[in-house]
Amino acid sequence: MSQAIEQGLIEARAGRDLSCFDLYSIDQLSLADIDLIYDLARLFRKAKTEKLSLNKGCSLVHAFFENSTRTLASFDLSAKNLSMDTSSVSGNSSVKKGESFLDTAQTLDSYNLKAITIRSAEAGVAEMLSRHVRASVINAGDGWHEHPTQALLDGLTMLDHSKSKTLQGKTICFVGDIVHSRVFGSLVRLLKKLKATIRVAGPLTLMPAYVEKFGVTVYTNVEEALAGADIVYALRVQEERGANGFIPTLREYSKMFGISRKRLDLAAKDAILMHPGPVRRDVDVHSALVSVDEQSQILQQVENGMAVRKAVLWLLCNRMDNKVKEMTRL
Amino acid sequence: MSSLLIKGGHVIDPANKFDAVADIFVENGKIKKIANNISDKADETIDAKGLTVTPGLIDLQVHLREPGREDKETLKTGSWAALAGGITSVVAMPNLNPVADNQSIIEFIVNRSKELDLINIYPAGATTRGQHGKMISEMNELKNAGAIAVTDDGVDVQDENILRRALEYAKTCDILLMSHCETDTLTDGGVMHEGWVSTQLGLSGTPAVSEDLAVTKNIMLANLSGARLHLLHNSSIGAMEAIRQSKKLKQTNITAEVSVQHFSLTDEECFGYNTNAKMYPPLRSEDHVAAVVKAIKDGVIDCFTTDHAPHIEPDKLEPFQHAAFGSTGLETSFAVANTYLVEKKHVDLKTIISKMTIEPAKIIRVNKGSLSVGADADIALFDMKKEWIVDPRDSLSKGKNCVFANKKLHGKCVQTIVGGKLKYANGQIIHK
Repeated sequence: MSQAIEQGLIEARAGRDLSCFDLYSIDQLSLADIDLIYDLARLFRKAKTEKLSLNKGCSLVHAFFENSTRTLASFDLSAKNLSMDTSSVSGNSSVKKGESFLDTAQTLDSYNLKAITIRSAEAGVAEMLSRHVRASVINAGDGWHEHPTQALLDGLTMLDHSKSKTLQGKTICFVGDIVHSRVFGSLVRLLKKLKATIRVAGPLTLMPAYVEKFGVTVYTNVEEALAGADIVYALRVQEERGANGFIPTLREYSKMFGISRKRLDLAAKDAILMHPGPVRRDVDVHSALVSVDEQSQILQQVENGMAVRKAVLWLLCNRMDNKVKEMTRL
Repeated sequence: MSSLLIKGGHVIDPANKFDAVADIFVENGKIKKIANNISDKADETIDAKGLTVTPGLIDLQVHLREPGREDKETLKTGSWAALAGGITSVVAMPNLNPVADNQSIIEFIVNRSKELDLINIYPAGATTRGQHGKMISEMNELKNAGAIAVTDDGVDVQDENILRRALEYAKTCDILLMSHCETDTLTDGGVMHEGWVSTQLGLSGTPAVSEDLAVTKNIMLANLSGARLHLLHNSSIGAMEAIRQSKKLKQTNITAEVSVQHFSLTDEECFGYNTNAKMYPPLRSEDHVAAVVKAIKDGVIDCFTTDHAPHIEPDKLEPFQHAAFGSTGLETSFAVANTYLVEKKHVDLKTIISKMTIEPAKIIRVNKGSLSVGADADIALFDMKKEWIVDPRDSLSKGKNCVFANKKLHGKCVQTIVGGKLKYANGQIIHK
């Protein structure tokens, strides 16, 4: 069974490699890279939790300098499904002892790792560290900047819903805390590559400077923003990232921007509702819409996360062209 | 009796409107004569043919880190770096450890720099005790100990009433007050210029209005008493407008500088999370840089500085958000001004020399910055044709955190003379 699945994956890959050795930003990916990831992710999704030996002998460390629930579990189960050996360090320990991120990463790299997943409260840590380790660095979220695998899994959810290879002609409406959202940071880059029309809605206090330069339209009235949208993407108000003080109360936020049944009905008839989690029920999204409503894709997103991460791990840890990443020790 | 003859260089001395090939004869540390074909016998002769000869450069904003952070820079290594850039006089900023808010620290810097006998170091004292922005410092004691100015550079005085009193008191003591213009509550933890680049990098931005508001506030408060106020490292459109207005109203008590990185580089240097591009004021977007260049062209800006801020390597290997602010610059400032202003035809060579010699000298009221007969013989020789790529590993400063790393610049200091003595020649410090 697993041999047949592996054979199918190898055939689908057809000798292809990603154009990059690390994944810290969606900016690194070409359209061909995105196609490749999705071709494989759809097969991985079909294979469910079947144990595959594609990455046997490859080690991975999760260097999570910031807490995580779903991303860590998703990366770790994906790696184990591919027969990888994995270990987790919560960066707290060595960094608290005064070791720099750089020295921690260079030390971990000396275990001959094939990949390091990195999550940090600060922007740019994965990109910076990728220049100084041999292992492929996968950004599992860096501050307010990016979370590329989250965007890739959301992109897959959106493409499957649209049943097409791009999102041309589709309108995606983001609602909520844009400025603190690394999910938005990656998704907006991906969706532009996929030719989507993008709207953002939220209080101006939660909008990044010059956000319109991403090629998005800004709305302060959520009803106008939602009108006719094909995909509604709610973002959580990130109190732990300092959203306090940007809005007067969660109560008022929920009233003005929370996604209710009535508001969702303003979107296109077959629109889907997405959220990167963790959801704050009745603040970001009305409770009844979260998991049981047929328009909600929130749990489907999580399943796609495993598939996309398996594809990325296989591609980065096992290159067909045997090219080696360039890096310098510091 | 010691004498020095500098032969055949292209002498540019904006203070005396002198711009011609000439010889300079120096005796006992003073300029004795400038003329063609001087035949007096000298102890030492420098062949300056093909070189540009200027008064030694003066930099009003330099962090020399001693006392307190001798691992980052010392008065000695900072002086070496200055000499390598043709800089013969600097104002040393007081954000030291302990803070230069008392005469002992000022006296230490004065005495140590005399002992080193390398460049002229003019210490600045703190505006408020401990630079905490609460109680004004003993400005008269500081002045008597040798402080050339007072400033809370690096933090700024946030409370308007304390700033007003500090300006009034500085006027009482007839000492210059220098302001690092920043509104803390608007900066709000920002680590770079707030704009399209900060948004792409997911970094928290400092809005330009943080500077605009502080510059405007400082000018208004200085004008209440007529205190002498020097505005440090201005970089924003709003700051340029406020300074332009002040110049238009002939408020001669107000002077303003620009640090060379703010007319040459944009916030795009921060891409790739380049921590050497992290500084305050932040490198700003192109529209701000254009406004700074326009202000320079219009004569609104009095002088150029470096804001030389050396750091140890680990402080810049941190994530951008936590990395130290500041870049080194003593060895590159003249070349940067030449490359980004003169070669781009914004202003002529005379103008940049003026803004790095006589103009800063006037602001701190020192008898420097010219090649007048009888003046101190502080002189720099530049090879204007020299093209070089900045490699911080070659720097004489302890700090290797230079934002101009890998940039190609034109014009390089080849020799530097302080008080009539050759102190630097072709990459080497000349020891007594």
